[in-house]
Amino acid sequence: MLLETVAYARPDSVAEALEALASSDGAAPLAGGQSLVNVLKHRVASLELLVDISRLEELRQIEPLEGGALEIGACVTYDELEHSETVRSAQPLLAEVAGHIEDQQIRCRGTIGGNCCLSDPTNNLPPLLVALEATMVIESRHGRREVPAREFFHGYFATEVGEGELLRSVRIPPLGAGAGAGYSTVAVGADSKAIARAAAVVGVKDGRIEAARVVLACVAPAPLRHAGMEEALRGAPATEEAVRQATERIGEDLEPMGDVHGSGEYRREMARVVARRAVLQAIGNGGSQRG
Amino acid sequence: MVDAGRVQAIEVTINGEKYERTVESRQLLVHFLRDTLGMKGTHIGCDTGSCGACTVIVDGRLTKSCMMLAPQADGAQIETIEGVSADGELSPVQAAFRQEHGLQCGYCTPGMVMAATYLLRRNPHPSEQEIRRAIRGNICRCTGYVNIVKSIAAAAGGAEAREAE
Repeated sequence: MLLETVAYARPDSVAEALEALASSDGAAPLAGGQSLVNVLKHRVASLELLVDISRLEELRQIEPLEGGALEIGACVTYDELEHSETVRSAQPLLAEVAGHIEDQQIRCRGTIGGNCCLSDPTNNLPPLLVALEATMVIESRHGRREVPAREFFHGYFATEVGEGELLRSVRIPPLGAGAGAGYSTVAVGADSKAIARAAAVVGVKDGRIEAARVVLACVAPAPLRHAGMEEALRGAPATEEAVRQATERIGEDLEPMGDVHGSGEYRREMARVVARRAVLQAIGNGGSQRG
Repeated sequence: MVDAGRVQAIEVTINGEKYERTVESRQLLVHFLRDTLGMKGTHIGCDTGSCGACTVIVDGRLTKSCMMLAPQADGAQIETIEGVSADGELSPVQAAFRQEHGLQCGYCTPGMVMAATYLLRRNPHPSEQEIRRAIRGNICRCTGYVNIVKSIAAAAGGAEAREAE
């Protein structure tokens, strides 16, 4: 398949990339290209200029910060997340999730920044980053600004990144003491397109849930923190039965779209299932990290 | 200053040999390999990144060459199926595919061999599940996966046997 005619530039720095992006309305960053190249083949979008940012060393760093936080450059690939010792020790669940994105070829090229900026509601990383309370660092020619992951994802293929801006990095704070993270997906096939997905971070003390963040994906245009389920979990015993009961709060408030892979109703049912599994995994992981 | 253009002069090293060409910026790497350079070993199955028949290794990364633009490969070291066997000898992976009947129509084979070659470099002793995960991005339209998995396992075993010698 042939792409429409397009210009290509490979700047040597983020500053140059931002200049190039600002030079034309039809300019867009090209990172791993594992979605964008297909979008261009299908001529869903028409662009004048592709600004290849995939090799910019500034965007390819994984840096441990003081206090256990991580700063991950936008062009770090899934494969690098999966195998980075820094990521595996600070955020093992992120490494595991990245290692189950589609296939090896896609993991070798697809990037954390691309996964976020595409903002496909079925993408793997957005709900996890919202649950982990990541901060998204956005840069333009006028400087940098930081946006909580929770506000970054606006909906279908829309994010906080505006014209002339670039997602530079994702900063992930450490989990609190005694807290653990969990993640669960019901998908079409192994490591395939998701039908329902949930990520959770849960803090447990003396057998009771102190605080929980539960984020659902594939059931709304953007990752959704489910306040009702979080409220039901707070103070509840950290048991399977209590968690199952809390998932009953997921209900009519969700109106997922149906598609060829599952009706809206089915997705809502599966949201309860993945929410339960993610929270139970988070409880288990928190326990093991404490021990 | 950023040099942006609809054509790009690129230089790539493929299977150890250097090629310099001027290409359209929109050209896919797979078309560069097959049409510009005439290296037809890399196949196009779906053209949408779904089937893995066009898999090559770019700077050590397993890559579907239909999901990358040729200018993105500028300066890269690329390995294709043409470079897998040295001096006319089948590589261990190729020999194992022949021995274990790891191909039927053969269309997916170049991509399968590249994916298997990549796997065994990283993980010389994969489990069956690791082998299956490693070819998750490669579709065999004959559905001959059992023998493909067997072939990769045999190639791994073969490497082990040779080390033991």
